Amino acid sequence: MDEGNPYLPYTVRIEETRYETPGDRCIKTFIVNFTDEKVWETWEHKPGQCAMVGRLGVGESMFCISSSPTEEGYLRFSVMKMGKVTSALHELDAGDFMTVRGPLGNWFPLDEWEGKNIITIGGGIGQAPLRPVINYIRANRDRYGELTVIYGSRTSKDLCFKDELESFMTEDGLKCHLSVDVEEEGWPHFVGFVPTLLMEVAPSPENAIAVTCGPPIMIKFVIQNLEKLGFAPEQIYTTLENRMKCGIGKCGRCNVGHLYVCKDGPVFSYSTLKDIPEAFA
Amino acid sequence: MVNQEELRNKAKEVLEREDVRRLIGWKRGTYGFEAAPCVIEKPEEAVNLIFDPTCVQNSASFIVLEEKLPVPRGQEPDTRKIAVMVKGCDSRAIVQHIVEKAYDRDDIVILGIPCTGVLDRRKAEKVFGIIEKPAEASTEGDKVIVKVGNEQKEFERSEILMDKCLRCRHPNPVISDILLGEEVEKWADDDFSDVQEFESKSPKDKWSFWEEQFSKCIRCYACRNVCPMCYCIDCVVTKLRPQWTRRSTDISENTVYHIQRAWHLAGRCIECMECERVCPMNIPIMTLNRKMTLEVKQMFDYEPGLDVEAKPLLASYNPQDPEEYIM
Amino acid sequence: MGEYKFSKENLGKVLEALKDYKVYAPQKKADVVRFQELSDPSEITLEFTNTNVPPKEIMFPQTETLFRFKVGGQDIEPRVPEPTDKMLVFGLRPCDARAYSIVDKLWQWDFIDPYVKNRRESSTIVGFACSEPCANCFCTSLGGGPADEENLDAILFDLGEVFYLKTITEKGDEFVQKCGEALESAGDVERKNAQAQGKEAIEKIRRSIEVEGISEKLPGLFNDAIWKEFSSRCLGCGICTYLCPTCHCFDIQDETEALDGRRARMWDTCMFAEYTLHASGHNPRPTRAERTRNRISHKYSYFPEKFGVVACVGCGRCINFCPVNIDILDILGKVKEA
Repeated sequence: MDEGNPYLPYTVRIEETRYETPGDRCIKTFIVNFTDEKVWETWEHKPGQCAMVGRLGVGESMFCISSSPTEEGYLRFSVMKMGKVTSALHELDAGDFMTVRGPLGNWFPLDEWEGKNIITIGGGIGQAPLRPVINYIRANRDRYGELTVIYGSRTSKDLCFKDELESFMTEDGLKCHLSVDVEEEGWPHFVGFVPTLLMEVAPSPENAIAVTCGPPIMIKFVIQNLEKLGFAPEQIYTTLENRMKCGIGKCGRCNVGHLYVCKDGPVFSYSTLKDIPEAFA
Repeated sequence: MVNQEELRNKAKEVLEREDVRRLIGWKRGTYGFEAAPCVIEKPEEAVNLIFDPTCVQNSASFIVLEEKLPVPRGQEPDTRKIAVMVKGCDSRAIVQHIVEKAYDRDDIVILGIPCTGVLDRRKAEKVFGIIEKPAEASTEGDKVIVKVGNEQKEFERSEILMDKCLRCRHPNPVISDILLGEEVEKWADDDFSDVQEFESKSPKDKWSFWEEQFSKCIRCYACRNVCPMCYCIDCVVTKLRPQWTRRSTDISENTVYHIQRAWHLAGRCIECMECERVCPMNIPIMTLNRKMTLEVKQMFDYEPGLDVEAKPLLASYNPQDPEEYIM
Repeated sequence: MGEYKFSKENLGKVLEALKDYKVYAPQKKADVVRFQELSDPSEITLEFTNTNVPPKEIMFPQTETLFRFKVGGQDIEPRVPEPTDKMLVFGLRPCDARAYSIVDKLWQWDFIDPYVKNRRESSTIVGFACSEPCANCFCTSLGGGPADEENLDAILFDLGEVFYLKTITEKGDEFVQKCGEALESAGDVERKNAQAQGKEAIEKIRRSIEVEGISEKLPGLFNDAIWKEFSSRCLGCGICTYLCPTCHCFDIQDETEALDGRRARMWDTCMFAEYTLHASGHNPRPTRAERTRNRISHKYSYFPEKFGVVACVGCGRCINFCPVNIDILDILGKVKEA
């Protein structure tokens, strides 16, 4: 976006696609690369940041950049098929083109978190913004304390990034806890909602940071449970979402209270959000 | 003129009923020549209600404007009635709502008020300017008296009332449960001469006129939102999947918007003229709707909003319907 | 920096001398006074209290192409907006000029909007002092005034038989130079008359609100019944927002016709239900009560918190044009009492 026009997107070519989950609202992951290699020279994104991904002629929507900056040479987005733009994006496959405008928004303060124990708590597609955090920590393993990944979805089919989750279960330096909402044949792990799984795992708030993302109702109960476990508001981080159009704090629509989700967010600490009544309305 | 005390007492009585949850009426505005519609739920609030020629808004619009959120689990929706105070034109909107099954006759309690005309704010502002205190108005015989502060002026109907009142065929509510005040005598009739005069223009002149008018449109959708007949939850003009009309305000999209609305109101518009009154750009929207009303009358001998037993015009088939082409 | 006068008959001459500029001035077309490009100087009208549509549409047009592309292609043109011709906005009221400066803070927040920036930088703003504020004006409550010179390059006063023109910035001096002989030097008489008119106009403002404290009170009223009460008659139309000089929300949509496509932005309003409607169907502001609360809070609490100034200039248009008499001063009065 350095041509002096923040509304101008980059063109990207889709290198690879895969479906994470099936169904009407399936989630498709896109691995993309800029058509103009030179963009990489100035591109710098941090875990938690987003980009406006779209198709010329249809529109753009905001998605979190689901790849960590330590994954070089490509960007990753996971898109759930919901409305006009996402349906148009789902029609695209490897070799097709999309537009990407970014990086936008703020990021998880991973520098401040060095030396701490990190717990990520995700639900459904909410794992997408947590993935870059997990991968960044794995790539810089000695700079961080314990890494706990808590993730659940409605059924085992609705879990995202299944291939990575498989390896997480047996990886050193990482504890992974999975759950599904209801009993399922062949499911060997926890059965129940993510906030309940959180209480089972009961991570210690000592020198820890908890990051959560998922459906609003899940976030509400996860934060409640984290506070029960003794986490202070400054130790709890989440990402908010809202309908967005410009992504740069001009069009006005993504505001939650006085905060613009596209610019002051999407990453917020609970210590900021607890004073904003609209955040949990 | 209806007695204000009687009006308030009756409204209070209705609100005190167990089966009524809210009442729609008017109260004194904060300035100017128009009252403020009000939706009240407590009987004590009835003391603010008024009815006089400043009560220009169509109260029936507020029945369909009510937003109904999904009821939380374990709770039952509140199915009590809504009471509405209506003038003649407003009551036609209620009849049309019932015909279209927007709600049942039993869902509402109608307090009908015979109307002697409402002020045209634009005409009044030409005489008094925009005033910072609310005006008071009343009618005596065929004169209209407007009181602004200490100044009081008397007017002929045509000088100060809305154009719709000068051709009003239904000053008395066509439907009501309770009638507040004495019925008034009709003082006007409608010969559609304004439409016929416009029809006599050449197509070129007609288009130049509308091109100029539609170019002014800022697509605020006030005309649509205020219309008692526009209550579709997913309105065709703002639909995104598929998008029928773009949001850009060029002459093409503006024209499509207005024509779409006029067509969707054919056989349904009850001529309350709210669309034209609210337009901030003074677009003569009613001219289009009046043309459709005249066509519907001539082709099908149908007038919406008069008979609760009638069927909606474009949803019914009559073998005698005129078919000048195709078949 | 310079004071001039010219007779009413010479207004046409003054405007004709401005051929170098693209002049936007109020004109009465089809029954409405609106700021439009002035092609014929005789069509200008300075007989108005204020225009319905604010001159924000000159800097921030209602519909604007961001860029174009071919359907199926990936080339985007133009990549940056073309520089704009020199513009001159003639005859806007001080409240509307103040609105320009207020919203500039947002247009330049971090990312600079190049479309608005080009137009603002290439514009000379010639204000027109109010002699007869309208009944619902309350600019003085918000730090403005009917003859306020801040945010203007030059200011014009209608002194009955002559116009008095005072330049305030270099841009103002530059435009005056072009007018050459059409302008005469003004003297003490004109200056004194203009000052007196300005003072009288302030006395004529009839409505006011004590803004102090509203910003702090609003967050506490999040769940108050006041919003439901006021929104019960709100139609949810766009009149108050589209006619507000400080409202700046917009939508971005891609439009295609055959093989040509463009990405355009157009005014949007927080009062429409679709404004925050998510694709999933969830709407964080499902009823007009939440949307009314958001609108008032944005103007009087969120914007001041971010940018230090209340996003309202007291022009009164929202009061004058609301079809159901939702009066912002009424709402603010109740907020103060609550």
